[in-house]
Amino acid sequence: MSILINAESRIMVQGITGKRGRFHSERMLLGGSPIVGGTSPGKGGDWVFSGRVPVFDTVKECVDSTNADTSVIFVPTHATADAILESIDAGIKNIISITGSVPLQDMMRVKSALKNSASTLIGPNSPGVLIPGIANAGIFPDDLSVPGNIAIVSRYGTLAYELMSILKEQEIGLSAIIGIGDEPVSGIDFQTCLEFLEADPHTEKIILIGGPGGESEIKAATFIMEHVTKPVVAYVVGENLAVSIMRPFFARNGGIYLDTIGKKANAFIDAGVLLAATLEEIPNLLKR
Amino acid sequence: MKLQEYQAKALFRQAGIPIPASMLASDAEQVKRAASEIGFPVVLKAQTLESGRGKAGGVRIVNKDNDVENISNEVFKLEINEQPVHIILVEKAFTFLKEYYLGIYTDLDGGMPILRVSEGGGATYLEPDSFFNTKIVDQKIDINGGLHRFQIRQLLTQIDISPTLWKQFESIALKLYKIYRENDATLAEINSLVVTHQQQLYALDVKVSIDNQALYRQEGFVDAFDPSYFGWVERKARKFGVAYHQFPGELGCIVNGIGLVYLTLDLLISKNAVPAAVIDIHGGSSVSAVASSLELLYQDERVKAILINVFGGMTMCDEIADGILAASALSRHKKPVFLRLKGTNEVRALETLSGLNNLSIFENTPDLVEGALEYLKGNA
Repeated sequence: MSILINAESRIMVQGITGKRGRFHSERMLLGGSPIVGGTSPGKGGDWVFSGRVPVFDTVKECVDSTNADTSVIFVPTHATADAILESIDAGIKNIISITGSVPLQDMMRVKSALKNSASTLIGPNSPGVLIPGIANAGIFPDDLSVPGNIAIVSRYGTLAYELMSILKEQEIGLSAIIGIGDEPVSGIDFQTCLEFLEADPHTEKIILIGGPGGESEIKAATFIMEHVTKPVVAYVVGENLAVSIMRPFFARNGGIYLDTIGKKANAFIDAGVLLAATLEEIPNLLKR
Repeated sequence: MKLQEYQAKALFRQAGIPIPASMLASDAEQVKRAASEIGFPVVLKAQTLESGRGKAGGVRIVNKDNDVENISNEVFKLEINEQPVHIILVEKAFTFLKEYYLGIYTDLDGGMPILRVSEGGGATYLEPDSFFNTKIVDQKIDINGGLHRFQIRQLLTQIDISPTLWKQFESIALKLYKIYRENDATLAEINSLVVTHQQQLYALDVKVSIDNQALYRQEGFVDAFDPSYFGWVERKARKFGVAYHQFPGELGCIVNGIGLVYLTLDLLISKNAVPAAVIDIHGGSSVSAVASSLELLYQDERVKAILINVFGGMTMCDEIADGILAASALSRHKKPVFLRLKGTNEVRALETLSGLNNLSIFENTPDLVEGALEYLKGNA
């Protein structure tokens, strides 16, 4: 058993014939993840990867033929909400949107549709979900991790890669890496991931990577205090950014309030979480 | 991205929401002409995106012709949060009986628009404290179902407002929601919505913010934005799909993804260093976007050294390398480049770059930042 995806997951890719979709689908396949099909409107009936993976016009056709239950989305930004809505409509269980920067009102339409469905959305702007040695749905480089018992949940793809690289050097194995994305309106948050990981027998310790803006870290801290028995390590990037020189930068980035960073760090400490000052410090905190 | 008041009011006029007559002016002479055309009394409103305009003296009532020149000169001399005043909106001033707040804001956590009505005028969603001691009522809106008249009435029955005004209020709220939806707004508010002696509702002050992530389909706004928010370099960078942020330092930075941008900036600032610019090339940017980003930094005379920090997932390192090669072949400017390039296709990428002069390669972010700053110190 593992969380969100496992060896039995039937993964499909929306936008499988595009440059990025094709590249990463092939990488997932080579890494041993079962890609059962993909979509590319107008190219239904084609095959990709030397006849290994069938292409369909619609997600529904793909699901009908292949029983796909997980979809990884690589379509352009302007088509992302439509792609997610299509997956919800076709009854896909886990929808992972690699594409990011989706207009907020598009995401509101998606959130409204998600409420009346059994689908879970990861992202937008997610690097995917990786269960090392078992399955990879997204763009996480396989060679950055070895199987183990530590889980990572990160708002940022790049910082997850940074940490994976640091942990691999120290031969610390991972049970799951989930990229929840950094969009203002998005799918699953830290709290939902914590619920899954608390129940996952393969996960012993959990690492959270957060940052400026939003309330997700605060909610996570409250949830940890009340419901999580496993040790949690957290890193909140941007501790030094609450300076006046950064004001215009954050004003342009949707007016993210910088004072949230200190609040988040304190909330984690209050919840008994080990707070890391740097990513490099995390291996030592895991040994405690 | 906040719109200037006059830009927001143009949307209101278009939508058919009653607003006072107004004209724009960029010097005292124009203010004078506008005022006599509109008729006294008028209110002069400094156009600024900074908060605290009223307290800073940026909103002034003028009752008679003799005072116009002096008062407008005073307003043009103001600096509101260190920002100069370039434009004044000259608007018809009138007295009113009562004021309300009517706004549509975005609940990011819930992922839905919320209609808010309050008995207090002058409040704004952007400053939660401004609603202190006033009655607030909120209505969630399902964006797939839209806003309905009965939902607005449900709010009106909870506040002190005459039923004779309900129809007008409903109509304004529906038009406000239309502004919110059609322009990809994250906030559209009227503060204050006033009741005149003739029992007419008027929108005196309004605020509209547009979703940055929707600007690709709201291109009309990009050129309209205040230059202090969106300078020409930012506009140019947007065209090739990267986000450019200017700072007053000497190090030009190219980074993929906002997480790594935060980390790189955090390390720089913790060492008391300030970049000259930070360019976020996001995930999966093209060879030409990298080359164009580098070209911006090569041309920027303030930039003494360039830092490139990439950990590629979606981003392909070989494309970054090709971009670096293309820019250095084209450019006559020689600036040292400090590079950390890891992730997808990194082996091929580093092969491409072997033999390039002026390039130092690092294994991780802390070493990269350290290396670049040491160079700058040595050349200070």
